[in-house]
Amino acid sequence: MERTTASATRLTRRAAFSLGGGLALSIPAFRRLRAAETLFVNTWGGPWERAAAKHLFEPFTRETGADIRPVSPVSFAKLAAQVRSGAYEFDVTTLGLAELVRAHRANLLESLDSLKDRVNWRGGLYLNGVASHAFATVLAWNQQKYGDAPRTWKDFWDLARFPGSRCLQRYAARVLPIALAGDGVPTDKLYPLDIERAFRALDRIKPSLRVWWTQGQQSAQLLRDGEVDMIGIWHGRVIELMDDNKPVTMTWEGGQIDRAYWVVARGTPRRDLARRFVEAAVQPERLAGFCKEALYGPLNPNSFAYVSEADAVRMPTSPQNYPKVFEQDIENFGGDVTQVTSRFERWVGA
Amino acid sequence: MRAVASPATGDAGFAVPAARGTWRPWLLVAPLLAFLAAFFLVPLGQVLVMSVTDPEPGFGHFVAIATDGFFLRVLAQTFATALLVAVLTLLLGFPLAYAMAEAGPRMAALMMVLVTMSFWTSFLVRTYAWMVILGKSGPIAWLSATLLGGAPPELLFTRFSSTLAMVHILIPYMVLSLYAALRRIEPAVLRSAASLGAPPVSVFRHVILPLAAPGVVNGLTLVFVLCLGFYVTPVLIGSPREQMIAGVIGHQVEEFLAFGEASALSVVLLASTMIVLGVYHRRFGLDRLWG
Repeated sequence: MERTTASATRLTRRAAFSLGGGLALSIPAFRRLRAAETLFVNTWGGPWERAAAKHLFEPFTRETGADIRPVSPVSFAKLAAQVRSGAYEFDVTTLGLAELVRAHRANLLESLDSLKDRVNWRGGLYLNGVASHAFATVLAWNQQKYGDAPRTWKDFWDLARFPGSRCLQRYAARVLPIALAGDGVPTDKLYPLDIERAFRALDRIKPSLRVWWTQGQQSAQLLRDGEVDMIGIWHGRVIELMDDNKPVTMTWEGGQIDRAYWVVARGTPRRDLARRFVEAAVQPERLAGFCKEALYGPLNPNSFAYVSEADAVRMPTSPQNYPKVFEQDIENFGGDVTQVTSRFERWVGA
Repeated sequence: MRAVASPATGDAGFAVPAARGTWRPWLLVAPLLAFLAAFFLVPLGQVLVMSVTDPEPGFGHFVAIATDGFFLRVLAQTFATALLVAVLTLLLGFPLAYAMAEAGPRMAALMMVLVTMSFWTSFLVRTYAWMVILGKSGPIAWLSATLLGGAPPELLFTRFSSTLAMVHILIPYMVLSLYAALRRIEPAVLRSAASLGAPPVSVFRHVILPLAAPGVVNGLTLVFVLCLGFYVTPVLIGSPREQMIAGVIGHQVEEFLAFGEASALSVVLLASTMIVLGVYHRRFGLDRLWG
C-alpha cells in the first residue's frame, strides 16, 4: 500500500509483458531507479512495443538503471512540433529513410557522430540516424482468388490475367517505384524514378485501386477480410496472417526495403542517455531478438549470428532473401519528394 | 418562447447578487473561462497566427487555397456532403421524431433510449461497426450472395458507405431537435384543425410543419455544422476520391508538415462554420440552437 505511483505503473507494465521472473527482477531494479533518469521512447505500440520492451528496453534498464517510458503513436509531425515548442514527449524515435532525409534537412535531429566507432558497418550511421532494422513492402494476395499464381509487380498491373481489386499504401515514395516495377522496369534500374511513367502506370490500374491503406493494421484487415484481392503490404503483416492460417500468401520478389533508423530529437535534455540507448538498441544479439519477435530484418549484419535458418527466411535482409528485394534510394529519387507527394495526393483524390 | 425567470419575479435568493453588482456571478464561470482560454482560445489563436506567418508572413496560403482547384473541389465536396447528410437525417429523422412525440410515455422513453444509446457510443466504434456490416464478409454481402448469387457488392470505400455512416452518427442530433419542437405542439391545436374538417395531410402541411419548422432548422444547422468537420469516418470508409476538408488538413500536417497551409485550411473551415452559425443567429438566435 505504501508503493508510490511510479512503482505501481512499473509493476503493471511488467505484468502486462507477462515475463517469467520479471516481477522479481523489477523490485531491486526499481530501487535503483528511484533517483534514476527516465527516457521517453516513441513506439508503434502493440506487438512492436512488446518486442522492443523485451529485447531492447529491459536489457538497457538492467544495464544502466534508467527507466524507459514508451510513448505512442509514432508521429513525424510530433517530432517536428516538439523541436519547435521545446516540450519533449519523446526523446528517441525511429524514422524511415524518407522521413530521416526530411528530418535531417529540417534540422530536427541530434548529432550521433559520437557513435561512429561503434556503429561501424556499412550504412550503419547515416544523416544522424542509426540503421537498425528493415521491413519490406511486398506483393501479397488472396490465395482463394489467385492460388499461387502472381509472381511480380507486373502481375499486380495485369488486370486481364488477374482481375480483381487492388490496394497500395497511400505513400508516394513507396508507391512510385512499385508502379515502375509493375510497368516492367527492372528493380535495379528504378532510380532515379521516371515520375511521369510511374503516374501513367498508376492511371492504368486506378479503377481497381478501391482503397488506399494508411495504417498497418488496416492493410492486414483489408487482405484478411477479402476486401481487396491483391495488395502491396508490409511483409510482417502478411507473415502474421499466414502464421494464423489465413488464405493469403506473398512473394519476396520485388519487395521494397524500408530501413528504420533510430534518431534522437534535437534539443532534448536527455540527449546523452538517448545516445546510449540508440547504441545499445543495435547491439547484435538484442537487435536479433527484437527482429525475430517483431518480424523485421536486422540491418546490423552481425545480428545474423544469432538468427536461425528458420527465422532468416522470414527476414527481408537475410542472405537468402536480400537478392530478391530492392532498396529505396531517396537521395537519387528523381524529383523533389515533397512535390511528388503533393502531386500523388492530388492524383489519389481526383 | 421559453419562460425565463426574471430577477424581479424569480426566487429572491438568486435575485440579490444581480442587484448588488454584476461581477460576482462571473466568479462561477471563471474556472471554465480560464480552461477555455488556456486550452481552446490560445491554441486557436496560434492556428490563426500560423496561417499567416508559417513559413513566411503574408496571406499566401489563402491565395493558394482560393486559386487551387484541388482545395476548392475538396471544400465544395465537403459542403455538398454536409448538405446531403443534413437533408437525409431530416428525411429519416422526421418520422421517428414524430412517432416519438405521438407515442405514449413508456414507448417514447424506449425510443429515446434507443436513439441516445447510439448517441453515446463512440463514433469510431460506430464507424468500425459499419465496416463490419458493409464488408465483404459481412451480413449484407452474405445476404446478397445467398439471395442473388454472384460476387458480393462492393459497398465499402464509396460515397454511399461514408454518407450512410455519417447519417447514422448524426441522426440523433436531428431527432432530438425535431422531437423538442414536435413535443411543444399543443394536441388541442391538431384536434381543432381536424374538427374544422382538415384531412390529416392538410393538418400536417398547414399545422405541424410550420410549428415544427424551428426544430427542422435547428437540426439541419447542427448536423450540417458537425458534418463539415468530420474526419475519421470519411477517412476510414469513404472513397479516396471524395475527401472532406478535415482529412486533407490532417494529411497536410502528417504528410507535408505544412503547418501554415493546414492552419489556413482550418481557418477557412472555421470561418465557413461561423458564417453558417452567423446566418442562423441573425435569423433565429443562437441561444435556441440546442432546443
